Amino acid sequence: MSETRTSTGQAFRATLKRDLLIAYKRKNDVVNPFMFFLIVATLFPIGITPEPERLGEIAAGVLWIAALLASLLAMDSLYRADYEDGSLEQLLLSSHPLYFMVLAKNIAHWLVSGLPVVLVSPLIAYMLNLPPESYLILFVTLLLGTPILSLLGSIGVALTVGLGSRGLILAVITLPMSVPILIAGTLTVQQTLNGASLLGYLAIMGAMLLAAISLAPLASAAALRISVN
Amino acid sequence: MFDSIQFSSIGEFFSMGGYAFNVWTVYTLFVLFFAINLYFPLIRKKQILSEQKRRLIVNREMQTLKNDDGENS
Amino acid sequence: MVRPGEHDILLTSMHNLNSRQESAVQRANYMWMWFSKLGSPKWFYELSGKWLPWLVVAMSLLLVVGITWALLFVPPDYQQGNTIRIMYIHVPFASISLAFFPLMAVAGTITLVWRMKLADMVAKTAAPLGAWFTALALASGSIWGSDIWGTWWIWDGRLTSMLLQFFLLVGVISLRSALEDAEAAAKACAVLSIVGCINVFVIKYSVDWWNTLHQPSSGFSLSDQAPNPPEVWIPLVIMIFAIYLFFAVSLILSIRNEILVRERRSQWVEELVQGT
Repeated sequence: MSETRTSTGQAFRATLKRDLLIAYKRKNDVVNPFMFFLIVATLFPIGITPEPERLGEIAAGVLWIAALLASLLAMDSLYRADYEDGSLEQLLLSSHPLYFMVLAKNIAHWLVSGLPVVLVSPLIAYMLNLPPESYLILFVTLLLGTPILSLLGSIGVALTVGLGSRGLILAVITLPMSVPILIAGTLTVQQTLNGASLLGYLAIMGAMLLAAISLAPLASAAALRISVN
Repeated sequence: MFDSIQFSSIGEFFSMGGYAFNVWTVYTLFVLFFAINLYFPLIRKKQILSEQKRRLIVNREMQTLKNDDGENS
Repeated sequence: MVRPGEHDILLTSMHNLNSRQESAVQRANYMWMWFSKLGSPKWFYELSGKWLPWLVVAMSLLLVVGITWALLFVPPDYQQGNTIRIMYIHVPFASISLAFFPLMAVAGTITLVWRMKLADMVAKTAAPLGAWFTALALASGSIWGSDIWGTWWIWDGRLTSMLLQFFLLVGVISLRSALEDAEAAAKACAVLSIVGCINVFVIKYSVDWWNTLHQPSSGFSLSDQAPNPPEVWIPLVIMIFAIYLFFAVSLILSIRNEILVRERRSQWVEELVQGT
């Protein structure tokens, strides 16, 4: 094997590209979280009420919880295949800072599983009779919030990657951690109905996203080193 | 000192001014929790010690058996 | 601080140093020795064995005084009547429950950085204990509140964040039991505890933000104690100390068991076992 020095930036782009390519080849990983989101959102009107007014009140919460569960479901595929075929070990052995490699994998994963959910959310919002003035803000909060869910979920997956059956333990670890994002997201959407200024709320979500981007991959990297050894 | 006791009779003390259920449930929970939390570690310690003692005895017997084997052959 | 790897190099190069540097190196060595001694399970087992009776005596005294005072001598609250007596159980448990994640995060950091055995034993035994303390704080709070609020459960800020902390603790416990390799489990739980500790604070603030309907703090804080007469808050302070001691005693008892299990093949434990 020829030894060519690659910069961290190149390695970052290569990891991102590789993960996106794999996702493109394995379309199930892309379609399933998306379908799951649609189905969960459909269950709420059936389970609670088809009445437009009452649906409109809970629509923001329903969309956020459905996005949260879809993100959790998608998480399982984040490191598993790489762990099983040994490429995760290669990643840990590489000379590049693991922080950037983990970040690249998280971004790829969010583009594949989180972004489609965000993109389809206005349609579901319409079907759930969310007041029209909230569409944009719901879209923006999901755009800011779902990457945080992916970054936090990544820590849980990294901790449990070596386990045979981990579906439930992953949920027990990551769901309580997602509560602040759920609160920030739904409160921001509710504020549009009260007519209050949204700048502060969005700033809080932006700050959460920045904190998650800078800290969560560090924890994920540490967790991966522990789990893979 | 006893003048400042807030209850004039035992019955009044147990009825807690109508809040007997709330007050006594919490105190009962506390006493149970307290007892269990001190009792179980002590039981567990006895268990560990007896387990280890058995392991040591078994080990020693294995050792003597092995030594006997060595002498016989 | 001198790391174990550097230890030998330091010792061999010691005679080359002048006396001032030498004493500094020695000091560093002593500090390291003290630190590793602190982490030695045998040392902890012996020391805690000496302290335990005194802790139990202090705890029992404080508990007897505190509970008698709380049940018999505290005047009924003008609003809450005799349910005020629940405060003397609920507030100490609630306040100590908040200490578990910071404790586990500190222990986890020590486990990850210095690989001290004892720190992981503290983290391992603290998690289930924390879940129990949190559960009791929730239960007593709910029983206390059932009268004030007219319902057993309301989704207010403090109850909700306490419930979420309980879930996070359960997560740490289940991660520990799911991972078979003890060392990997120790490190994984250390990472999760540190993340969880940060998260507990974020959850606390976000939940307060979400719902600020709760009654003003009934807990012990110097600022809002001023209107409360001493006969109300002195027994509370006694109970807080008593229950902190109870926490210390039950944590030490569990750690001692953990030491006996993990060090079962060491000579001192075998001698101890034979002595029984």
